[in-house]
Amino acid sequence: MPLASYQTSVPVVVDDAKCIADKGCTVCVDVCPLDVLRISDMTKKAYMAYDECWYCMPCEADCPTGAVTVNIPYLLR
Amino acid sequence: MSSPFESYDDLEDADERLQAADPAERRVAIIALGHSGDPAAVAHLANMVADPDAGVRQQVAMALGEFDGPEAASALVKLLVDPERIVAAAAADSMAEFKDPACAAIILPLVKHAHAFVRMGALRALKELRCKDTLKPALEALQDSDAAVRVQAIGVIGFLKLEESIPALTALINDPDAHVRRAAVSALAFSHMKPAAETITRALRDSDWMVREMAAETLGLNANGSLAADQLIGSLGDAFWQVRLKAIRSLGKMKIERAVRPIGNCINHDQANLRKEAAAALGEIAHPDGEAFLAVIADDLDPDVRKNARWALQQIAARKARAGA
Repeated sequence: MPLASYQTSVPVVVDDAKCIADKGCTVCVDVCPLDVLRISDMTKKAYMAYDECWYCMPCEADCPTGAVTVNIPYLLR
Repeated sequence: MSSPFESYDDLEDADERLQAADPAERRVAIIALGHSGDPAAVAHLANMVADPDAGVRQQVAMALGEFDGPEAASALVKLLVDPERIVAAAAADSMAEFKDPACAAIILPLVKHAHAFVRMGALRALKELRCKDTLKPALEALQDSDAAVRVQAIGVIGFLKLEESIPALTALINDPDAHVRRAAVSALAFSHMKPAAETITRALRDSDWMVREMAAETLGLNANGSLAADQLIGSLGDAFWQVRLKAIRSLGKMKIERAVRPIGNCINHDQANLRKEAAAALGEIAHPDGEAFLAVIADDLDPDVRKNARWALQQIAARKARAGA
């Protein structure tokens, strides 16, 4: 699976200010069926490591602080 | 990376984190306790219902939803009356998951609470407990000034399925709120007595299309629904196709042969769902007169309509074969 070496837009966006992954939360990582979310070693916040989203939404729905937003493509809405 | 939640085997560790100064750390500890599934975690969670942070209390309410029983109910009752709406809403959602009838006695006093949201949440939680003691308070709640509370009270009564509640449900057919009337019609489905079927039949003439839709659907589930076959056939001319669809489905389930032609007349409708339902109903009835109507949709653009038409023709052919034999 190719990794982007530059900043790009991905469907799952995490608001670092709200994310509490640095406190030990891993809810979004645990619920993702495709295992595309990770906790950054640098920022200690959740982020989308692989752009393979199914738009199934549990990461957004289960995030305890509402930090995760899944941007669903217009044609899938 | 291993999940920190997996290292919460020892509840003492969790307790330590529940006392953390940072609300985010307390939230993470609460999530861990909820995920643990350990009944001993309930006591630790119950100690957090008075946390100064609303987000933490909301998390406690969500975590308690993973458990069942009086101890979790006692904690959630305190959170349901929380002044923060997000906390109370999470508590209401969690309480609705309870299945242990022993929770009923703890939740029942809230049915008389001053706030409508609390009364609604309590009745919603009582629904699935199916405890006979909840009938009287639920019947009283049918007179509540808040329509959402009345809807939940109907839910409690509907789940109990007691014939003695039919007069009270019947009276709600004249409620000013359409959601209440719709819920009452739905709740009457369980009754095998004639008065219930008559009340549902009257609802086919309701001013709100969603009530009429529910009535058309419920008649198909009711033991005496076939008594209203003529009224259901009349509903095939309803202004809303959603009502017509449910009427077609019910007539098909009841195998009303005189409905073949009126159903067949709906076979060219713009809505593929309606054509599909009409084909299925003609198959359920399996009267040979349905063949001519089914031939019209044999090459329908919608594959589901074609599939139902094929199935319906098979049913008619099988009936003819049985009659021939």
